[in-house]
Amino acid sequence: MVEKVEFKTYREMPIRPMTVTDMLWNRTGSWRNVRPYYDFKTSPCKAGCPTGENIQRYIYLVTENDYEQAWKTIIDSNPMPAVTGRVCFHPCMSNCTRGEFDEPVNINAIERSLGDKGIENPGWMKRSKPSKKEKVAVVGSGPAGLSCAFYLARQGYPVTLFEMEKALGGILRWGIPEYRLPNDILDKVVGAIVDSGPITVKTGVKVGSDIGLAEIDKEYDAVFLGLGLTRSREIGVDNEDCDGVHPGLEFLKKVNSGEKVDPGKKVAVIGGGNTAMDVARSALRCGSDVTVFYRRTIAEMPAIREEIEEAEKEGVKFYFLSTPKEIVAKKGKLSSVIFQKMELGEPDDSGRRRPVPVEGDTFEMGFDSLFPAIGEQADIDGFSGHLETEWNLISSKGEYGETSNDKIFAGGDIVTGAASVVEAIAAGRKSAERIGRFLSKEEEPVDTPDTVVGIDDMNTAYFSKVDQNRVPRIPASEIRGTFREIKTGYTAQLLHSEADRCFSCGVCNYCDNCWMFCPDTAIKRNKDDYEIDLDYCKGCLVCVEECPRSALSTREEGR
Amino acid sequence: MKQASIPLEEYMGSGHLACQGCGATQAMRFALKALGPQTALVIPACCWAVIDGSFPHSCVQQPIYHTAFETAAVVASGLKAGLEMRGDSETTVMAWAGDGGTFDIGLQALSGAAERNEDIIYVCYDNEAYMNTGIQRSSSTPYGAWTTTTPVTNYKRRPKKNMIDIMAAHEIPYIATASTAYPHDIIRKMAKAKEIRGTKYIQIFAPCPTGWKLAPELSVKMARLGVTSKVYPMLEITENGQKLEVWKDFEPSSVREYMKPQGRFRHLTDEELDGIEREVEANWQRLLAKEKMLGSIPGLA
Ligand SMILES: Cc1cc2nc3c(=O)[nH]c(=O)nc-3n(C[C@H](O)[C@H](O)[C@H](O)COP(=O)(O)OP(=O)(O)OC[C@H]3O[C@@H](n4cnc5c(N)ncnc54)[C@H](O)[C@@H]3O)c2cc1C
Ligand SMILES: Cc1ncc(C[n+]2csc(CCOP(=O)(O)OP(=O)(O)O)c2C)c(N)n1
Ligand code: SF4
Ligand code: SF4
Ligand code: SF4
Ligand code: SF4
Ligand SMILES: [Mg+2]
Repeated sequence: MVEKVEFKTYREMPIRPMTVTDMLWNRTGSWRNVRPYYDFKTSPCKAGCPTGENIQRYIYLVTENDYEQAWKTIIDSNPMPAVTGRVCFHPCMSNCTRGEFDEPVNINAIERSLGDKGIENPGWMKRSKPSKKEKVAVVGSGPAGLSCAFYLARQGYPVTLFEMEKALGGILRWGIPEYRLPNDILDKVVGAIVDSGPITVKTGVKVGSDIGLAEIDKEYDAVFLGLGLTRSREIGVDNEDCDGVHPGLEFLKKVNSGEKVDPGKKVAVIGGGNTAMDVARSALRCGSDVTVFYRRTIAEMPAIREEIEEAEKEGVKFYFLSTPKEIVAKKGKLSSVIFQKMELGEPDDSGRRRPVPVEGDTFEMGFDSLFPAIGEQADIDGFSGHLETEWNLISSKGEYGETSNDKIFAGGDIVTGAASVVEAIAAGRKSAERIGRFLSKEEEPVDTPDTVVGIDDMNTAYFSKVDQNRVPRIPASEIRGTFREIKTGYTAQLLHSEADRCFSCGVCNYCDNCWMFCPDTAIKRNKDDYEIDLDYCKGCLVCVEECPRSALSTREEGR
Repeated sequence: MKQASIPLEEYMGSGHLACQGCGATQAMRFALKALGPQTALVIPACCWAVIDGSFPHSCVQQPIYHTAFETAAVVASGLKAGLEMRGDSETTVMAWAGDGGTFDIGLQALSGAAERNEDIIYVCYDNEAYMNTGIQRSSSTPYGAWTTTTPVTNYKRRPKKNMIDIMAAHEIPYIATASTAYPHDIIRKMAKAKEIRGTKYIQIFAPCPTGWKLAPELSVKMARLGVTSKVYPMLEITENGQKLEVWKDFEPSSVREYMKPQGRFRHLTDEELDGIEREVEANWQRLLAKEKMLGSIPGLA
């Protein structure tokens, strides 16, 4: 009842003083000077993911057993979770609030589990029809090109995907070894992307030589270049072309194509990045005795820690502060390498201390193979004249891969220099969206800044410490002679246990606290959400304070 | 949406007259969810005599018998006896009183009812002072606190009365403390009390933002920190006072963190806070020793 009962004379009163109705006539909302309201925010994991995956949402959906929607949530920003779930450097996890509490949520492992479920359920992938007449050419089928083609096809644009190699995938196929990313997984992921819409594949066609960029420019309404870095850098010493010395990436390519390779008994790998780690660990699996030579110390190695630690565990040896000075060849074949000892001098532009030779300190070691793995360069000779370039990379002006040519967009390593799979995916998607707007003459959306929550905004009293669930893996002792995938992935039980660790930062996950603690019973619990009844809310803000995840905000009344 | 974590039924509605963030109000809401509709309440003079609303309105759906300050336990006993006489042994009778009406003026009536082991639930919502009349000290007011009758120049220098030990001495079947920070626990304890015949005494720690000079939004937080700082231990006493169980499974926090946001403790110096901290720890250790001691004595059964 919302009417107040008032007795005009004592005759109207009951004989015994008894309650006849409730207090709803008393609209206590007028007491309020601050108003609470539901205000979901951006979780730090999402803010940390280069392609902006809605991580909180898909982890929540996992806890609800809705794998299909969880997978689809990822696909909205990343078409290959089975790939990133295996090889991503997961900056999301470095941003995860839980990292400041105990250990980050293993987002990467959850992503992989969902990616694998997507492979098991090919029906989840929506097939898009060609609904637009403008044609787009995508050059390069690494993560950048695949992502761009996927999101263009989703918008209904017919896409032609040019790839100079025999098969699609770029570094995913030729660089990253099978023990981290099995070929059959990659095949299925690439297959699903190509089949998802109007994508025509042209392999074995090198744009810039087999077909000119000008020709493509003429035939298509827009072009995306995801060329990556395909040329190995040389170390620049004599005899680098002798038998037994091969670029690391070339070795990986052979191994990844299933070719039987025998690098010999003793193998040296030069470099300290992820390519060097992949080359070393692959050579180990071919049965060699492997040593990595790096000109600085372990602290300066650009490879990610996990890779270095695993390489060590598997038996790769490391020589720091050493760099090849001379390759000694006998009858055109590698016999030994003379190394120069280095020491760390002043910091260089990257902030890392520059290695300088220690005068007269050298040593010599014999090897059957030497794999330089000191980085890759772009091969854009065929594009000069058409586009502005800088440092042998394609220059991009905006955040959507715009180049000096209105119709041509570029993204991935060819723009950023050596970066990562997820950054390439993000670049491909953003360009696809931008190309869509370019072709349909749509206006650029206005950027609304995200409010990202941090641990200080949250009420951690509701969380207790729980260790991260480790991903099961095959023992390091069993890796020789096989390229079997190391990480076997979460079981269903581990997946749920890890998903349960997510705090759902900034987004309501129906914990009931606000509803439960409201002293004024002013919060209604609906079927799918909660609702504050401002007729009665007194503005105590208990609901805001007790929300563990900062999904409510406040506003002063009268403003 | 997931299944609700506490019963959905609401017996306490909006529009009531409690201050913003009132813990006593949350306590009532949870208790009624546990006890359900077949419950009769007896409320003596206290904030709750006002909160529910003005005649002929009430925010509570169950009937409430408003009674004199010192009489909650005896009126509840009488109500229960009357119901029994009419053949109703199903209805739960709950006396619901403040700490003034329990620790002080209502103690005699409560002691009498407990000694006779009347079949009632007696809840003391403990906000640690006479709030309804404008924040006067009660025997439940903790050491160090400001009230209008213990001004900062002469703050309360006597410890809080140990009401739990007094009730345990009556050898009644069930005694518990609870806190508004733990609704599931309140609901569990109320539901348990409902099933036990005889006198059940439940003392619910219920912050009062107005009387504690506390920002209302911190009400639940204080109810939580009171527990995790060991200032207000959560316990259950069963087997007629012979078995004590103390809740220890929490992340401990400091006494200072609990006291700092409360204006009623603002005048305390560092040394005085140190003293209070030592006292809290000593009480906690005594409580654990008692738990152990009681556990080591073989029961009669
Ligand atoms: C050995 C190695 C391991 C790595 N491991 C990881 C890892 O674990 N995690 C991670 O995040 N990143 C890793 N990286 C980095 C990551 O692979 C790259 O950042 C990413 O692949 C870049 O994607 P992209 O699409 O820009 O280029 P790419 O993957 O290099 O793909 C470019 C594609 O374009 C094709 N192409 C080039 N020029 C032409 C042309 N003119 N015409 C037609 N086709 C052309 C190429 O053949 C290739 O298929 C690794 C890199 C290497 C070398
Ligand atoms: C015999 C008697 N003395 C004094 C009062 C005035 N009085 C009404 S409520 C109250 C304080 C109640 O304090 P407490 O029991 O702690 O409940 P709270 O108001 O804190 O909720 C007092 C002193 C009264 N109603 N009857
Ligand atoms: S706890 Fe969950 S929502 Fe929060 S940052 Fe980590 S993964 Fe994201
Ligand atoms: S807890 Fe209830 S009364 Fe307090 S601000 Fe929130 S909705 Fe309003
Ligand atoms: S307190 Fe819980 S139910 Fe309420 S908004 Fe926050 S997460 Fe959602
Ligand atoms: S004075 Fe305290 S106990 Fe009384 S209604 Fe206000 S907040 Fe509640
Ligand atoms: Mg009181």
